[in-house]
Amino acid sequence: MSMIRSDSEALIKKTMARFVDEEVIPKAREIDESGEFPYDLFKKLADMGVLGLRYPKSVGGSGGDTVLYCVAMQELARGLMSLAATTAMQCLMATNGLYLYGTKAMHEEYLYPALKGEKIGAFQLTEPEAGSDLGNVRTSARKTADGYVINGMKTWSTNGPKGDFHTVLCQTNPDKGLKGLMFFFIPTDTPGFSHSKKFDCLGTRSSTLSEIYFNDCHIPKEYCLGEEGRGLDVLLTILAEIRIMTAALAIGLHRAAMDDSIKYCKERVQFGKPIGKNQLIQAKIANMAVNLEAGQLMVDKVTRLVRDKKSCLNEASMAKYFTVESACSASDEAMRIHGAYGYSMEYSVQRYYRDNRFLLYGGGTHEVLQTTIARQYLK
Amino acid sequence: MKIVVLIKQVPDTTEVKLDKKTGNLIREGVDSIVNPDDRQALELALQLKDDCQAMVTAVSMGPPQAVDVLSEALGMGCDAAVLLTDRAFAGADTWATSTTLGKAIEKIGDFDLILCGYQAIDGDTAQTGPQIAEYLGLPQACYVDNIENVEAGKITVTRRNDEGYERLSLTLPALLTVSKITVAPRYPMMGNLIDAGCEDAAIQIWNAVDIGALNSELGMEGSLTQVVKTFSPKTKRAGELLEGDVPEMVSELLGKVRQAHLI
Repeated sequence: MSMIRSDSEALIKKTMARFVDEEVIPKAREIDESGEFPYDLFKKLADMGVLGLRYPKSVGGSGGDTVLYCVAMQELARGLMSLAATTAMQCLMATNGLYLYGTKAMHEEYLYPALKGEKIGAFQLTEPEAGSDLGNVRTSARKTADGYVINGMKTWSTNGPKGDFHTVLCQTNPDKGLKGLMFFFIPTDTPGFSHSKKFDCLGTRSSTLSEIYFNDCHIPKEYCLGEEGRGLDVLLTILAEIRIMTAALAIGLHRAAMDDSIKYCKERVQFGKPIGKNQLIQAKIANMAVNLEAGQLMVDKVTRLVRDKKSCLNEASMAKYFTVESACSASDEAMRIHGAYGYSMEYSVQRYYRDNRFLLYGGGTHEVLQTTIARQYLK
Repeated sequence: MKIVVLIKQVPDTTEVKLDKKTGNLIREGVDSIVNPDDRQALELALQLKDDCQAMVTAVSMGPPQAVDVLSEALGMGCDAAVLLTDRAFAGADTWATSTTLGKAIEKIGDFDLILCGYQAIDGDTAQTGPQIAEYLGLPQACYVDNIENVEAGKITVTRRNDEGYERLSLTLPALLTVSKITVAPRYPMMGNLIDAGCEDAAIQIWNAVDIGALNSELGMEGSLTQVVKTFSPKTKRAGELLEGDVPEMVSELLGKVRQAHLI
């Protein structure tokens, strides 16, 4: 008989949605209030193969791609942004350099355990004086006979205090600026490694962000991730994917804000009718829905371009900019629809409002993104 | 050990919507899921697989899109799947469904245990499992919530009843219907779901000819019963049980009475 098969993308979306509804949403408020990262849920995601979604089975992955990875992250962000952000980091930025440039021994010691949720990875780009301006990175990598010595500090490091290993952007030659950049792999147990206490942030309260310090950290030469001076190229290979992943997280949060708003509009009765019967409330729901649909189309398009290895950094930047701004607007409108209750910690919309701010900065600030997008049209 | 698990794709809603004219289920806009009791049967089967390397085959009868529940079963860890799909199967009552599934199991042939959910949420008959056991001439136990052990050609299970629990021992091969197991069914693995969507996935598609069935045994023609009318029971009054000690319950009751403006 003819071939009848399922659509794996739909199956993964459905499975993740069920996981989020059953396991994440019921605990989200408690996790957010505790400020503790939910390692039990992270391990469950690892056991389901979520952490390895975009890696081949040959390295312990699930054999998926960027499309499936972003579908999963989108659903996770609908439940709890802290969990989604850390998971997204583990799947991509924290492990991609290790996967591409790590030795077999490094894969066995770090990559396989990371995909099983047994070790946590972190990604270190930002410094106090180098955010969008990566040419100003000052964390130095000095070459020695058998490797490198790393000195400097990083900030806004997701998973920094909890990470077992770090992918760190360093400057190998300050005279070369961007062409002197290079990524290094630095395990947390390297002598000279330390970190600050966890930052106290507005949103993603159960994520761990901190400063990281490198004081004469000696690492072997095989811990170089890529060719010397090609750090920017290494970053550019995943920058579009980072931005579209961030957009997928925004879509998840936007959907959560909209779902809660629709439910509340139907339940809340004023002047003898549900508030959803009022045109001004309907306008808010309509705007949320239109922006969500448009953002979803952008994410669906760009994830496929990334999967097919097509050049799409500008499209990814536009998708990130649009979806995160839309999610900001949706979470704001969700609070307004909830009235004073939206201001209460009892309702989730205040968490969406706080958590979405996290997405404004990662993967490029919107002020920088608008500039780079405009440049494509003004050149 | 070889296990066959029977699973059904059902609408994901406890509030089934019906077409007022035809009485049929309105499936548009309603997601489909693995019937919850069947998911529990899958979990029990996969626990046996974990413990004693059993081979688990999931079987479902339905339209082509029912392949999704089989893909989920493969995602959870089943080794193989069979989809029974044919226009001739349409409109089957539990008798014709049992006959169809029974014939498919006969074709599979080599099995030690059949597991299925106690009942499906879209029909609530709880007839199909027992009827398959009768069709195949197998011992059966219904309402099983735990498998204690499998040893020397026998399986020992427990099931809940009004007085407590019963422990039953059955000679294999046997059929069990499953409900209310104590462990939450596992989630599908991402890698398995990806594999399940591939052309070479371990899913066989069988029609009426493949299972050697006559049209007179299948679908509406092979059914002994016909649905005259389908409707949602209308609940006009709902009871509510209050919990706690007497003062708490009295206080809560007074609050509810006041809220309803009865006093």
